[in-house]
Amino acid sequence: MKIIVMKFGGTSIGTGENIRNVANIVRNSSKKGDKVVVVVSALAGVTNQLIHEAEELTKGKEGRIQEFVKELTEKHLQTIDIAIENKKLKEETKHSAKKIIEELEKILIGICYVGELTLKTKDQVLSFGERLAALIVSATLRDYNLESQYFTGKEAGIVTDSKFGEANPLMNFTTHQVIERIKPLLKKNVVPVITGFIVANQDGVLTTLGRGGSDYTATILGVALDVDEVWIWTDVDGIMTSDPKIILDAKTLTGLSYGEAAEMAIFGAKAMHPRALEPVIKKHIPVRIRNVFNPKNHGTLISEGAKVESKEVVKAIALITDVSMINIRGAGMVGAPGSYAKIFRILGKNNINVMMVSTAVSEANISIIIRNNQLERAMSTLEIALLGRDLANKITSEDDVCVIAAMGANMKGSLGVASRIFSAVAKKKINIHMIAQGSSELNISFVVKERDGPIAVSAIHEEFNLNK
Amino acid sequence: MRIILIGYGVVGQSLTDIFLQRKIENLRNYGFNPKVVAITDRGGAAINIKGLDLKRIQSIKKREGTVAADSVFGHRQMSGQDIIQSIEAEIMIEATSTNITTGEPGISNIKTAFNTGKHVVTTNKGPLALSFPTLIELAEHNKVLLRFSGTVGGGTPILEFAKKCLEGDRIKEIHGILNGTTNYILTEMAEKKVTFEKALESAQKLGYAETNPAMDIDGLDSAAKVVIIGNWIMNKKFTLKDVDIIGIRDITLNALEIASKKGKRIKLIGSIDGKPTVAPKEIERNDPLCVNGVLNAVTFVSEYAGRETIIGRGAGGIETASAVLRDLLDIKHHLANKILS
Ligand SMILES: NC(=O)c1ccc[n+]([C@@H]2O[C@H](COP(=O)([O-])OP(=O)(O)OC[C@H]3O[C@@H](n4cnc5c(N)ncnc54)[C@H](OP(=O)(O)O)[C@@H]3O)[C@@H](O)[C@H]2O)c1
Repeated sequence: MKIIVMKFGGTSIGTGENIRNVANIVRNSSKKGDKVVVVVSALAGVTNQLIHEAEELTKGKEGRIQEFVKELTEKHLQTIDIAIENKKLKEETKHSAKKIIEELEKILIGICYVGELTLKTKDQVLSFGERLAALIVSATLRDYNLESQYFTGKEAGIVTDSKFGEANPLMNFTTHQVIERIKPLLKKNVVPVITGFIVANQDGVLTTLGRGGSDYTATILGVALDVDEVWIWTDVDGIMTSDPKIILDAKTLTGLSYGEAAEMAIFGAKAMHPRALEPVIKKHIPVRIRNVFNPKNHGTLISEGAKVESKEVVKAIALITDVSMINIRGAGMVGAPGSYAKIFRILGKNNINVMMVSTAVSEANISIIIRNNQLERAMSTLEIALLGRDLANKITSEDDVCVIAAMGANMKGSLGVASRIFSAVAKKKINIHMIAQGSSELNISFVVKERDGPIAVSAIHEEFNLNK
Repeated sequence: MRIILIGYGVVGQSLTDIFLQRKIENLRNYGFNPKVVAITDRGGAAINIKGLDLKRIQSIKKREGTVAADSVFGHRQMSGQDIIQSIEAEIMIEATSTNITTGEPGISNIKTAFNTGKHVVTTNKGPLALSFPTLIELAEHNKVLLRFSGTVGGGTPILEFAKKCLEGDRIKEIHGILNGTTNYILTEMAEKKVTFEKALESAQKLGYAETNPAMDIDGLDSAAKVVIIGNWIMNKKFTLKDVDIIGIRDITLNALEIASKKGKRIKLIGSIDGKPTVAPKEIERNDPLCVNGVLNAVTFVSEYAGRETIIGRGAGGIETASAVLRDLLDIKHHLANKILS
C-alpha cells in the first residue's frame, strides 16, 4: 500500500468525459490498495475567465455580471451532466454548484460597486474555480462508488503567510493541521479532493500560492502527509528530451534529479515550477509526471536517485524564443568595481528579468538576455543611466535571437561536453553569439539567431543520441 | 530615451529636424539617444514602440497633412490622450496649440502623463498660465519632472539664467519685453511712422503674427509668460486671472511721438513688482531692456547682483525646439542620477 497525492490540472478535468477518466484512474489505484489524495485546479479556462471578469468589473459594468454568471453556471452544469450518472447525486451536485456560484456573484457585484480589485479580493474570486472543480470531481468519485469528501486548501489545513497572490506555506503549522484533518480520512478509505492553489493565512483569509499553483499544493500535502509519491497528471507523457514540435523523435525521459527538473522548468520545459519542487526536495519525496490520456505510460520520475541511474551527459535540450540580447560595451567597465552590479541593479529596479549573462572582461563587454517584451524599457533605461558617463559607450540590441539550453546533472565536471555541443552546432555552419554556463553547472546555454534555433537543437539532440 | 510627441506643428517638426541632424553628436557628447515612439496631431497618431523613422514621418506630415496617414504606423482613431495612456515612454512633449481660456488639450495631456509616470516637457503656455501651481504640485506628487524652457524666450535661456545664475540671490523685481510680435509692431510704428493696422499687417506677412493675433496684441501671451516667470523664479503662486493686462491696440502714433521726444520708447512690458501686470509703458531709450524688432529682453533686479538683462530672440520653431532639447538633456541627467543612486 502506498499513499499518493495526485494532482489533476485544468485540461485533465476539462470536460465531463475527462473527469470520468480521472475518477477511473483514482479508482484503479484504490483497487490496488493505494490511498489517494486528489488535488484539482479549476476547469480549463475558468481561472482566466474569472480574472478577466473581475478586472472588467472594476470599470463598473454591472450589466455583464448576469451574463457571465449564466455562462459559468451552464459550463459547470453541463460538465456535471456528463461526469455524474447517478440522478440523485447529479441533482445534489448541481444544487451545490449553483450555491457556490451565487456566492461568487455577490463578490462580483461588490467589486463592481467598489470599483477596485485588491490582491486579496482577487484571490477570493479565483478560489471559486477550484472550489467548483473539487465539488464536481469529488461527486464523480462517489459516482464511481468511492467514498469522497472535498475541501478547500484552507479546510485541509494549509496555512500560509499573508502575501496575497503569492503566499508561502508555514510548513510546520500546515503539517500539524493536515495530519489532524486528512490522515483520519485516509484510514477510513475516504478520498479527499482538495482545491489546488487556494489556501489561507493564519486568520483564515484566503490566499493563493501564485507561481507553482496547484502543483505546489500537491507537494505541500505530500510533505505534510509524508506520502510515498506525488503524481502530477498532465496531458503529455512526461518531461521530454526536447520540444516534440521541433524534434519529431524527441523521447520521454524516464528519470530526472530534482536539480535537473528545476533547471528544465527555468528554461521553460513543460514541467513543474521550481517553487513547487522545493518542499519535496528536502523530504526526498519522488514526483512523477504522468499523462491522464495515456495512463499506461509511467511518465517521468523526478527523484533524488535518478541522476545516478542514468549515464547520458546531456539529457534534454530546450529552445527559448521571444528573447532579446543586449550588448553593453565600454572601456569604463574594465576593472571598475561594481559596474556589472550597477547594470543588474538598474534592470532590477525596472522589473526587468535577466535570463542569462555573459561577460568578456578583456573586451569590456557584457551581454544580457531578457524577454522580448521588456526590450524597449531595458534599452531606454540602460541608455539613460549608462551612456555619457564613462560607464558604457555603446549599447546595442538584437531581437531576432533565441537561447538554447542543454541540460543534465552529469555535465558537472565532465570535460569535453561543451566542445561536443559547439562542434555539433558549428558543423551546421551556425554562428554562436553568446555562451553562458550557470553556476549550477547543470546546463550550458548559448545564443544563436532565431532562424538557426531548431537546426542547432536537432544537431545536439543527434550528437548525444537522445532519440535512441 | 523614449519620447511621445503630442502636437506636430512648427515646434514639433523643428524638434525632429534637430534629432535628425544631431543624432550621433548628441549620443557621443551627452549619452542621449532620443527615440520618438509616438507622434500625434489633430488627424491621429503614428506609433512605433521601436522608434519612429523621423524622416519618413516628416515627409508624410508634409505630403498628407497628418502623421496618421502613415500606412504602417498610422492610427487615425487615436488621440493624444489614448497614446499617453497606452504607450510606454519616459517623456511626453506637449506641443499642441495654446488655448488660453481652457488650457486644453494641454492640461489633460500633462495630467495623464503625470498619472502614467511620464516626465513632461511643454512648449505650450496655456496649461501653465492657467494652472501653474497645480501642475507643479501634481508633478511632485507623482515624482516626475516638468520642464518648460521653451515657453519663455524661445531659445533664449531666460528661465535657466534666473534659476541657475542668480541662485542664492533674492530677485526683487522682474520687467520684460516678452512678446516678439508686439515688439515688432511697436518698433515699426515708432521707426517707420506707420499705423497700428499697417504694422500688424506687415507682421502677419512676415509670419511673426498669427491670422488671429489677439493673443499677442491683447497682451495674453506676455501675461502667460509673466505667470510662468513669477511662479518659477519668484515662487509666487498666481495664475493668469491674477494678472492686470492691457494690450497695445490703443497705442497711437501720437503717443509714440510724445515718448520719443522725451528720449523714451513705448514697449509692452510684463512686470512682477508687487502685483503682476502687463501694460504698454514708457522706458528710456538707452535702458538695456529697450530692444527692437522681434527681440525679447528681461531685466532681473536682484538684491546683490543688481540689474541683469538678458536679450535674445523670443520665439521661432527651431529656437523653441532647441529649448526642448535642453530640457530633455536636463531630464536625462536627473534620471541617470536617480537610477544610479
Ligand atoms: N512657434 C514658436 O515659436 C513657439 C514658441 C514658444 C512656444 N510655442 C508654443 O508651442 C506650441 C506649439 O507651437 P507651434 O508653433 O508648433 O504650433 P502649430 O504649428 O500650430 O502646431 C500645433 C500642433 O498641435 C496640434 N494640435 C492642435 N490642437 C490639437 C488638439 N486638440 N489635439 C491634438 N493635436 C492638436 C496641431 O495639429 P495639426 O498639425 O493637425 O494642425 C499641430 O500639429 C504652442 O502651444 C505654442 O504656443 C511656440
